[in-house]
Parts: sequence; C-alpha cells; structure tokens
Amino acid sequence: MKEELNKVVVSAKTEIIEAKYMHELMLLKSRYIGKKSILNNFMQKIGSLSKEERPAFGQTLNIAKNQISQLIADQEEKIKELDYNTTLRSESIDLSMPGRKRAKGSLHPITKVWREIEDIFMSMGFEVAEGPDVEDEYHNFDALNTPQDHPARELSDTFYLDDDVLLRTQTSTVQIRTMENHSLPIKIISPGSCYRNENDASHSPMFHQVEALLVDEGVTFTDLRDMLNIFVKEMFGDKIESRIRPHFFPFTEPSAEIDIVCVKCYGEGCNLCKGSGWLEMGGAGLVDPNVLEKLGIDSEKYTGYAFGLGMDRIAMLKYKIPDMRLLFENDIRFLKQFS
Amino acid sequence: MKISYNWLKDYINLKLSPEELKDRMTFAGIEVEAVEQLGKNLKQIKIAKVVKFEQHPNAEKLSVCLVDDGTETKQVICGAPNCKNDIKVAFAGIGTQIQDFIIKKAKLRGELSFGMLCSESELGISTDHDGIMILPEDAPIGTDLASYLGLEDTCYDVEITPNRPDLLGIIGVARDLSALLELPLTLPESKLNASNEPIEDHLSLENKVPELCTRYTARMIKNVEVKDSPDWLKKKLISVGLRPINNVVDITNFVMMEFGHPLHAFDYSLINEKKIIVRSAKENEEFPALDEVTYKLKPEDVVIADENRAIALAGIIGGENSHITSSTKDIVIEAANFLYSSIRKTAGRMNISTDSSYRFERDITDEVAEFASIRACELILEIAGGELLKGKLDSFPTKKGLRKVSIRPSRAKKILSIEISPKQIIEYLTALGLNITKESEDNLEFEIPYYRKDLTREIDLIEEVIRLNGYNNVPTFLKSQNIMNKPVFFARRKIENLLVNYGFSEVVNWNFGDPKDLDKLKVNANDKRRDFAKLKNPLGESFSIMRSMLLPSLLKNALHNINHGQKNFRIFELKKVFTRKNEKLATEKLHLTGLLCGELNPVYWKDNSKQLDFYDVKGITEDILAELKLKNCEYQGSEEPYYQPGMGVDVTISGRLIASLGKIDPKIAVKFDINLPVFAIDIDLETIFTMDLFQDHVFEIIPKFPPVLRDVSFIIAKEHKYADIIETMRKAGKNVISKIVLFDEFAGKNIKDGFHSLTFSLVFSSDTKTLTDEYINNILKKVIKALINSYNTEMR
Repeated sequence: MKEELNKVVVSAKTEIIEAKYMHELMLLKSRYIGKKSILNNFMQKIGSLSKEERPAFGQTLNIAKNQISQLIADQEEKIKELDYNTTLRSESIDLSMPGRKRAKGSLHPITKVWREIEDIFMSMGFEVAEGPDVEDEYHNFDALNTPQDHPARELSDTFYLDDDVLLRTQTSTVQIRTMENHSLPIKIISPGSCYRNENDASHSPMFHQVEALLVDEGVTFTDLRDMLNIFVKEMFGDKIESRIRPHFFPFTEPSAEIDIVCVKCYGEGCNLCKGSGWLEMGGAGLVDPNVLEKLGIDSEKYTGYAFGLGMDRIAMLKYKIPDMRLLFENDIRFLKQFS
Repeated sequence: MKISYNWLKDYINLKLSPEELKDRMTFAGIEVEAVEQLGKNLKQIKIAKVVKFEQHPNAEKLSVCLVDDGTETKQVICGAPNCKNDIKVAFAGIGTQIQDFIIKKAKLRGELSFGMLCSESELGISTDHDGIMILPEDAPIGTDLASYLGLEDTCYDVEITPNRPDLLGIIGVARDLSALLELPLTLPESKLNASNEPIEDHLSLENKVPELCTRYTARMIKNVEVKDSPDWLKKKLISVGLRPINNVVDITNFVMMEFGHPLHAFDYSLINEKKIIVRSAKENEEFPALDEVTYKLKPEDVVIADENRAIALAGIIGGENSHITSSTKDIVIEAANFLYSSIRKTAGRMNISTDSSYRFERDITDEVAEFASIRACELILEIAGGELLKGKLDSFPTKKGLRKVSIRPSRAKKILSIEISPKQIIEYLTALGLNITKESEDNLEFEIPYYRKDLTREIDLIEEVIRLNGYNNVPTFLKSQNIMNKPVFFARRKIENLLVNYGFSEVVNWNFGDPKDLDKLKVNANDKRRDFAKLKNPLGESFSIMRSMLLPSLLKNALHNINHGQKNFRIFELKKVFTRKNEKLATEKLHLTGLLCGELNPVYWKDNSKQLDFYDVKGITEDILAELKLKNCEYQGSEEPYYQPGMGVDVTISGRLIASLGKIDPKIAVKFDINLPVFAIDIDLETIFTMDLFQDHVFEIIPKFPPVLRDVSFIIAKEHKYADIIETMRKAGKNVISKIVLFDEFAGKNIKDGFHSLTFSLVFSSDTKTLTDEYINNILKKVIKALINSYNTEMR
C-alpha cells in the first residue's frame, strides 16, 4: 500500500507542476486531497492494515497529504502571478498619447486685474461699492468740487444723454453716493466702467477705473502713502516701489500723481517708461474739505484719502499687453492666453 | 475642581445668588463648567419615627415597622440590626429615588413594605452601612433631611487655568472674588498651643533632594483620638465631593480644600527609627500604596521614607504601611512642596491622579505649606484632641524673597483703551493682595504676594487690572459697513468661474450699442429694450445708444473670430444693459449672455467629434441656475424673436422671466454675417439677484438603506412631453422614487411612426425600511398603470 501511495504522490507532483490554469489546479486539488480524493481513499483503507502497521502508514499518509497541499498552494501562487502578468501585457498602453482634456475658458484680463484689486482691498477691510454708469452732473462734477467752467464738462470731453445727465467720467461718483447713504467711517473701493469722449490709439472711449476712499477720524497723508505702497507691491511685486508727485485735482487737496517703478526695466530706463524708469499710475490725494462739507461732514473732525487707478492700464502693464485695442477686440486667441 | 457656595461664604459675605455667582466667576476667568444642586436627593427623604417594631413572622433578619412621617403611618420592612422602636429615622417613601433606583411598593416574605429606612451610605452622607441612620431624638418628624442636616448647597465644578495655582483652594477663589466684588475677606486665624516637649526629641528629618523637595515641614501630635468627624466637617467634605474617612484624614483634606495645599498624616508608631527621609526612589523599589496597588518605582520618583522603606510617594499618594487607622495614637503632619514637573512625570507614568497630585503638578507655593500645617494642627487638637509637640521640623532649602513688579498707568490705559486712574489700579491690585511699595509719576511698584507666582511682568498686572475692570467693559469702535451685497458679489464670481470651467472665454465690449442691431434681431417695436438710453454726442450712429442687449456685441465677436479661422468657441459677457424712458438716469440691469459655436469637446483621438446641440446648451443653463440654487424653474417655448422656431426656451420662476436659451435663427445669424449654427444663453441676473436664493446648505440625512435601481422601458407617442411623463411617474411612485433618469431614447426601426421608445432608470430609496422586491414591484406596477392610463403608450 505504501508503494501505491508513493506512486500517487509522484504522479500528483508532476500533474500539479504542469497545471497552467486555476480551474485545472482546483480539479487536481479535489482529486488528490478533497473529500472523495485518492488520499482520503487510502485513509479509509487504514482499517485493513495490522495494528502495528497503522501508525507508520498513517504518518506517511499525513506527510504525503501535507506535501501535496503545499505543492498546490505554491502552484496557486505561480498561476496567480502568471495571470497577473498576462493582464499587465494585455492592458499595456502608450503612455505618451495625450490625456483627455476639457476645453478651458478664461476670464478677461481686465476682470482678472479687477478681481485681484478687489481681493487686495477686501483683505484690508475695504468694501466694494457700486454706482450707476449713467450719472447726473451733480455727482460727477458739482459734488466733486469741479468748477462750472471746467473743460472736462464740455461735450468734447464728456458723453451726455441730457444737459445734466452724462456717462460718468470717473468712479469718484460712487464715493459721493456712498457718503450720502452710509454713516462714517467709510472704507470702500469703487471699480467700474467710465467714459470719455475720445478714441485713439492710447485712449478708449470706455475704460475701467478703480477708486479707493477712506474717510474717518484721523486719516492722514501717511495712511494714503502706506496704502499706495502696499497696493502697488501686492499688485506688481515687492520690487515695485511707488512715489507721489504734486498735481491738481478739483476734489483732493493736497493732490498727487502716482508713479511706480517701471515694471519692464525696474527703473533702468526703457522704451516703455520712455527712459525715465517710472510709469504714471493714477491720481491721489486727501479728500478736499469742500467735498466733505458739501455732504454735511465736519471736515475738522473727519479727513480722508482717495485715489484712482486705471485698471486697463494695470492689466496691460501686468500682462505686458502692447496695444490697448487688443483688450476690446475679443479675439479668442488673445482671450485664451489668460486661462 | 469643586467648590461650594456655602463654603465660600465662610470667608466672604456673598450677596449674589448662586446663579449670579456662577456668571461672575466665569467672567473673572474662573470658568464654571458644571453646577450641582446638593441635597436635592435628600429633599425627598423625610424624618420619621418608628412607632411599632416587630419581628418579621417569616424572616429572622427582618423586622416589620410602622413609621410615622408626620402625615401618615406606613408599614416598612427593615433589615437593619440597629432598628428598634421609638427611634427617629430617615424614611424614603414610595417614588423616592435613592442613588440609581426608585422605591416601589414591595412584598418581602409575605409582608408589604411602603418605603425604606435608609443608611448613611445609601444617602451618600458617609460610608457607614452598618445600619440605618438614627437621628437625634429632637429631630422634627416630617422635615426633609436636606434642610434638617443643612446639606442644601450649590457645588460648582470650576476649571482652574494652569497659571493660577493659588485658586486650587477655596480661600484663593474667595480672595479673587473679594477683589472682584469689593467685599472684605475673612481668613481663619490659627493659634497653636504646644507642649514643652520638643519635636526633635521624637523625630528627625533629612531632605536628600532639595532641588525636588523645595519644602518639607513636619509637626507631631501625641495621643489623638481617631474617630468619625463631626457633622459640620463631614458636610463640608461632602459638599465638594470628598468622602469623609476619619477625623484626622478629614482635617487634612479640609485644609487642602481651604488652602489648596495638600497635607499628609503618618502614624508615628509606624515610622522606623523615628526619622523621615526625603529621597529619590531606588530602581525597582516597591511601594505599597493606599490604593492597594504596589508600585514599582524609578530613581526619578521622590519618596518620603524612614530608614527602612518608603512610606509615601511624595505629593501623590500615601503608603499602606504608615497611614492613620483607628488605633493610631501619635501622628506626624506633613506639609511639603515638590517640584511640579517631577510630580507630573511620576503621576503620569503611573497613571494616578489624586487630589494631591492634581495640585502639586500645578506649581503651588512653598510658603503656604506652613499656614496649612498650622491650620491642620489647630483643627486636630480641637477635634481629635492630643498634645502638639513644640516646634516643627522644616527643610526650606531655597527661600526666595518677595518679587516686585511695576506698572505704568499710561501703559495700561494705552493697551486697554479704558480710562483708568492710578488710584483705581492701586485699589484693584491691593484687593488681590499686592502691596504698593513705590508710587511715582506714572510708575506704581507692587510687592507680589508669594501665592501669585504668575505675576512677574507689567503685562501680567495689566491683565489683572482688566480682569477686575471686566473684559466686556472695554469699548469697541469697529462696525461692519454693510455697503456691499456680499452674496451677490460672490454669486457673480461663482457664475463666471462656472462658465470658465465650461470652456467659455469672457469678452469685454464697449457699452455703446447700435439701435439697428435690434431690428436685425427682430425685437418688437414695443419691446422695453427699445427704450434706448441715447447719447447726445456719440462717436457715431453705431455707438449712439447704451447697449440694451449684450447679444449683438457677442454676435459681432463671433463674426470676428470666425473670420479669423476660429470656429470652435464659447464666449460670454457679464455686464450691465441700459434702458431709459421717463427716468432721470437710466435703468441699469446686470445680464449674462453666452454664445456657443462649434464642437462639444476638443478633438480627442478616442472619441468621435460631436457638434454642440440644444441639449448641451440647456444643460449648461440648468447648471448655472442650479449653482444659484434656483428652484421651481419652468421651461417653455421662447417668445424671443431671434431663436430658431421650436429651438428656443424661456425659463421662468413664478411667471417671472429669468433666462432664455436656444439656437439663433439662421436667418438672423446671417444678418450678422454668420453662417454657422450658434447657440445663445441669456440670463437676467438683476432679476435673479432680487430673489431669495442665498441660503446656506442644510445637511440632509443620508438614507441608511441602500437604494434599489429598476429600469422601465416603453413606446410612447412623441406628442407626450418628457416633463409630463416624468411628473406622472413621480406622482405614481409617491415618495419612494427618489430619482428618475432618462437613459435611452430611440425611434425608427421596429417602432411605428410618431412613436419613440424611452427607457428610464428609477431609483427607489427609503429612510425607514429596506425595500423588498415585492414592495418595489408593486410601486412599479402603479407607475406603469399610471402611464398606460394617461398616455398613448405600450410597455416593452
């Protein structure tokens, strides 16, 4: 019987090692060590042996069974590995082929700058105020201390709908409207569209401007300089310094023009800054006491600063856009550059 | 830490109610985490008299009593050995809650019992459970036990911040409150009468670790009588959650609660060689502690030892081998202080937290040890008797002088933005126990009492000033401006971002318009958009109005791009449009217009290309409206003149037009020189932004039971609208169908003219039960029946 068993073990070994598929292996498993298997058959025959032979044969049978189980387990691992390798081969792809993309759109460069400005000021406690594009003369000129005979009021400079209704020439109008409707202190920016009756290579009849206004007790010229410096650095980077020069605006006193270090040459002098190393950015100043008094605000108690910047110009400087007309042409190849 | 209202009143004449006191403490920096009304459970217990006492007929250890609780006489079965006739007892009637159970009518061995006579342990008054509580003869029948015993009190569980170890005792809290409430503080004054026998004759002390044991004092009392504490002392301990044990131990605990300084008492007879040694533990030294655990020590631990063995784990727990028992005669009172970090390390490693370690871990003060020691000895002599030996043993290796700290009133004013005079500052700080030592122009110098280790700098004094002044009495100036409409502001950005993600590029056009463009779009003569805001001095006729529509500008942008070879594009503009009729200025409304041309997706090697169609554009519009959380949108054929007939839709909410979309009529596109199919979306944001749509997300419960999916397929006449069909199914499916998705539509092959086949996937889900097949089949039958009844349809 022992010899018989040895034969079975030898043939089992060969068959198991040759099994290539899992189902084959499972058949062998049930044939050799399953419930109705050959080895189990031997087990039942133990009874026919003599008492002395039984323990030795039982032990041999157990060893055989363990050997076969181990072989099956090993082969199972081998087949799994083979299957896995087959999967890898069949799923192999050219990794260099392009991935699936969706069409990506873009915000207009003016909007990008607009949002960035809003974010800088909002992070410093300013709110964004809005007002109408179609304004009356009072808010656009009178309330801003502009004399009746000021040239800006003429048809050649300003678009009119009626004698005293016009397209705002600056978003300072929003400052007046906000001070009329809200209690002090006021800390706002007012971005928006403005209009002037001119149309050439460097002037668009519609353009975008942002004004900042802070009115409170104890607002000083230092506060204005601080805010300008911070804003310019946040917008253009740490390298870009700013300075202010005396100027004239009817609604601020003292009034100033803002320059920033040329964003192209960093002050070395180039064609963009016409060799000066500086670029003009906008106007600023402390709110003229007349403006405050007209609104019924005690200009002894309250002071304020205001400044205005051209957002189209900021966008052109920031993104190195050479021609203003590109901004309004809306060529998709231009727009997609800002996605 | 627990403190009691009544106990506080021993030192300070509080006029606030317990509830008011809670708030005052919290706003002075002693945060009250919980409030417990003590004696509440004893309110229901009545004093009663046993008027008849008989042996239980069927049980040897039980008795049948009749008790009189002042209102009636009740039968109670009692098992206590000390119960007898004519005594006053604590009676809990039916319905009374004792600890976790409620007294009910019961039958004990055949005899009815209408309540219970309680032991002190059952009442939580002491650990005594040998028998029932017997009250003095003069105890008034019918009175509740809480008022009789004076156990009504309010217990506060307070959080003591780590910078204030001085608040770890009730006196410390009272001192803070006295400063806060401007009430005088009365502290216990102790005087000791000692015998002539010097302590040195009986005990010696050696402090081997002066850097870890910063103070060690010992006093000794001979011939004390260890017994139960008097009632007042038990009550005090119970009121702060401590269990009375015996008079000596109770006194050490009482003094710990008073001064915040833990004490320990040893049985003198158990101190070998009559010597106390403070030393580091030996590696693996075994210490049998009072909690019946033997701890293995390390050299980093400090022990109090005699010549042979450790008798206490310093500052943490006493030893099993030396504690006070009823047979103790002579005692040693330890009042010491240990380095807080060492105690924290040892207690942490052993995972023990005792009232003692809790305090020593928080860097309490060397000096207080002496006050606590004197106070404890005084009380022991008074309560437990005995004779105090003369003097004390005292190791105080690094005695420090009192610190001085200055404050500038101008600085306090500047930092706190309150008007405060130097006089007020002096008043505040002296009330806290600081002494003013120098007063000059804008400089006040204070001597800091030993118990305020936290006050080392000017800013610490400034904090005390504002704490007493009240944090919320500091003025505030800022207010939010509320000028901008933030929800609208951010909604606008959200829509822009969504469109960018859908592949749209934003365009910016001049706001000038050409009135002829509206003719090209066939806009009605009486359409409001023809109320032009006209310029007096325009740049030219084609710029003569402010735009009343964005679409013409976008069509011109489209032409520009098509002419430059760009045929796949999506553009949008989000800008104001203008009209003006009788108004002084103009009506300016925010609109969003989008224009789409070309293919649905960028060319991709795995996919077939597909031209944009109506449903693509509708899907985008639906997504935008969903982003704005607009509900109940209705879609119907558009009245706009510029969409291809049958290919335009208006979206309304309660009859208000909010959007339209569709394919631009090719006849109109041609007028703008466009020969490709283009689609447009127009959204009236101005109108939408007036609607109530900016609600926050509200969480909805996720169904516990998994959803079940079923498909249903049928052939139906094309004239029936999808929207109606879905409504029919939804109604028939009641609340169980949570989602209906159309996933296939086809016509032609095998399907008769005028009909098409629709296949829907229905999602069934329920919050309350697992849906069985039978149940779902039933619902499905109802859905099918509803479809057959309502439409020209047949099932597949």
